[in-house]
Amino acid sequence: MKILVLNLQDARPQTLFSDERLENIHRLIDMGCFGELKGDASDWNVLARQENHTLSLLEFLEQADKQCASFDDFSALRSKLDAGDWDYCQLSDSGLKNASSHAGSGSADDYLRLDWELDEVLQYLGDDTIIAVVGEGCFVLVSANNPISGEHKEGSTVDIAPTLLELAGYPLPAATEGKSWVAGMELKNASSGLTAEEEEILRERLSGLGYI
Amino acid sequence: MKKVIVIGLDGFEPKIAEAMMAHGELPNLMRLREQGGYSRLKTTHSAQTPVAWSSFSTGTNPGGHGIFDFLTRDTKTYLPIMALSRYEQKNAFVLPKVVNMRRGTPFWNLLSAKEIQSTIIRVPCAYPPDQVKGRMLSGVGVPDLRGGFGTPTFYTTRSSVSADQSEKAIIVTMKDGKITTYVIGPRDPKTKSDFKFDINIQIDKLENKIIITSQGQPENLEVKLVKWSKWLKVKFKVGMMQAVTGIMRFNLRQIEPEFELYASPINFETEEPLFPISSPQEYAHELALKIGRYYTTGMAEDHDGLNNGRFDESAYLDQCRIVLRERRKMMEYELGRFTGGYFFCLFDTPDRLAHMFWRFTEPNHPSNRGEDVSQYAKIIEEHYRECDEIVGEAMKHIDNETLFIVLSDHGMNSFQRGLNLNTWLHDNGFLALKAGSKPGDGGDFFQNVDWDMTKAYAMGLGCIFLNLKGRESNGIVSADEAESVREGIVSGLNGLADSARGAVAVRSVVRREQIYSGPYLNEAPDLLVNFSEGYRVSWDTPLGGVPQGLFADNHKKWGGDHVIDPALVPGILFMNKKFSAESPSLVDLAPTILNSLGVPKGAEMEGRDLLS
Repeated sequence: MKILVLNLQDARPQTLFSDERLENIHRLIDMGCFGELKGDASDWNVLARQENHTLSLLEFLEQADKQCASFDDFSALRSKLDAGDWDYCQLSDSGLKNASSHAGSGSADDYLRLDWELDEVLQYLGDDTIIAVVGEGCFVLVSANNPISGEHKEGSTVDIAPTLLELAGYPLPAATEGKSWVAGMELKNASSGLTAEEEEILRERLSGLGYI
Repeated sequence: MKKVIVIGLDGFEPKIAEAMMAHGELPNLMRLREQGGYSRLKTTHSAQTPVAWSSFSTGTNPGGHGIFDFLTRDTKTYLPIMALSRYEQKNAFVLPKVVNMRRGTPFWNLLSAKEIQSTIIRVPCAYPPDQVKGRMLSGVGVPDLRGGFGTPTFYTTRSSVSADQSEKAIIVTMKDGKITTYVIGPRDPKTKSDFKFDINIQIDKLENKIIITSQGQPENLEVKLVKWSKWLKVKFKVGMMQAVTGIMRFNLRQIEPEFELYASPINFETEEPLFPISSPQEYAHELALKIGRYYTTGMAEDHDGLNNGRFDESAYLDQCRIVLRERRKMMEYELGRFTGGYFFCLFDTPDRLAHMFWRFTEPNHPSNRGEDVSQYAKIIEEHYRECDEIVGEAMKHIDNETLFIVLSDHGMNSFQRGLNLNTWLHDNGFLALKAGSKPGDGGDFFQNVDWDMTKAYAMGLGCIFLNLKGRESNGIVSADEAESVREGIVSGLNGLADSARGAVAVRSVVRREQIYSGPYLNEAPDLLVNFSEGYRVSWDTPLGGVPQGLFADNHKKWGGDHVIDPALVPGILFMNKKFSAESPSLVDLAPTILNSLGVPKGAEMEGRDLLS
């Protein structure tokens, strides 16, 4: 699976989770899990810390010969996503204000612009993408195989990287600092075929036609 | 001309109209006939609402617009699916988009290009709405909140009740004159369970009514015995932050000895519809603010409630009248501010009413099962009089520069016997069942069908598809072999007799290229079956059933139908201008209307200007 991380350091949980206008953020929240994070917000991509080197998620995947890319604005990110030749993409260090290529478009605030940007980014993704939005001490995580839904409490910022790797099916390095939230859990399967229940729904939907 | 006003009367049957006019009835339609003219109107193959109105809109045969039936099939799974619109979702993270499957160019697009305004109310197969210059409210094609053609709910204290055709049933318990229950909303794709909206019911035996208390609008809704309630606006929380709203009506059938309450399908609410149902998007709500809340689903009339016996004819009639009245209000409001261009309003009720009341015109109809049918024998005529009155109301808006048209898309006929098309295909070696199973063993959706041995299958309202290699996922019929398979079916089915009745059930079977042409021909069924009067595909056929026996009596209250040989069920056409009445066809209307407004007909349009 592909991994997309959107890091927006100054996006605060109070707004992200409760501003009703943020339709796209909230659709993701409803699809996956979300919560506040302990620890230093700048550790969002930290996988392991050695004595004189910090191994980032990006670096780890590059070492594994994965196609990785890092951006600091949405439009460059979109071009990459559109091209499709990537395994890992991150948008980082930009902050809400700088993130938006819609800057100056009317009176809407930065969060609303972020939501628009998000909408456009989502258009370029395939179902096999893991999305993490990481703000200041908070996150939203969506993945088709993610067994966790709703609010996830007690998470730390450094847990993000190992959780993403595990969902994507990569082995974790021994020195991983954080703890994957899905460790030991059975990942969800994408279902296929028509179950009896789905048949019933189909029947219900069509038979209201009257003619049948 | 400056104005063209078109009143659509869905399913208005010429034979009934003509007989009534011969007796001096339907004065407004008669006036139109004298001023301009009247003719029967050739309908489409097949004679169905979405197919016929799409040909009206685009001026092409179905091969030019791609709507051949209410249903089509998924060639991957062989499952029947809605043919009118489709939900397309780029990926799991974005909202699905509704895509209209009616293609071709509706004539109002050509008007819009010339800056001519249109007001179009409830034309079928315009969901999502076309982006017209002017206003459009979508009609047939708009689903209910559960995503289907309409799912009502039946609440009762009788524990033996289970859900019937396209409905939900909730067994409730009454405690101290109170019932605590819920309204069933859309399905949660994540948990696969239904979203719910809590309601509390307070029973008032003395006053023969109940009060439904909820967090909806109004908070307290009064529902009187056997009367349709006002609208209740309900809200389903579908996520932490997301909610979906809808509107519904109730009909209290009985308080004692057992409690029985019918709840309509949940319609989109106009202020926040799940998907846009008008163009411009806020128009639907603007209309609601003017005339009050109204039914927004494509199939507004609750025929399922009557078919399932949840309420009686009288309640159905009441509801049809509500729908008719609100549509009339829309028409009057819009005609009142109509200054020029194209106006259209469709009244669906003549069709929905005749489907359910046809049996009363035929005492020996199998649906009657000995019931005395005299009470409603004249109800269709009565309804036609109301439609005539509406036509009269619209005619007040005719001036010297107005072309005024009344038409129906098809007629109506009797449906007494159904043919199990898949069973015929099975018996004649075209459809195979898995080893050990026989017709009648499986249910819908081609259960037990052995696709590796099947050459053809039937679904929808008289469509036969070949199991074609390269098209169907388990296709076995090669392109070279296709014609001989079709020939075998045509020669076997043509003139098929119903021996029990000594009548011919199938008048003919036609190949698609005999009746269709255009860019979407390849989406059409390979063969279409033209039934005789009184016949239709059986109830088990449209969703892919292979029941026992070739023919079945129709025992449902839905006793009238029109999906037979289109030559037998033409529509009506009235105009206030003299027109060439030489077999006019639905596809002639688009060129006629365009020419009247000074716009040349579209390149793909097949018909002619009836006024020239």
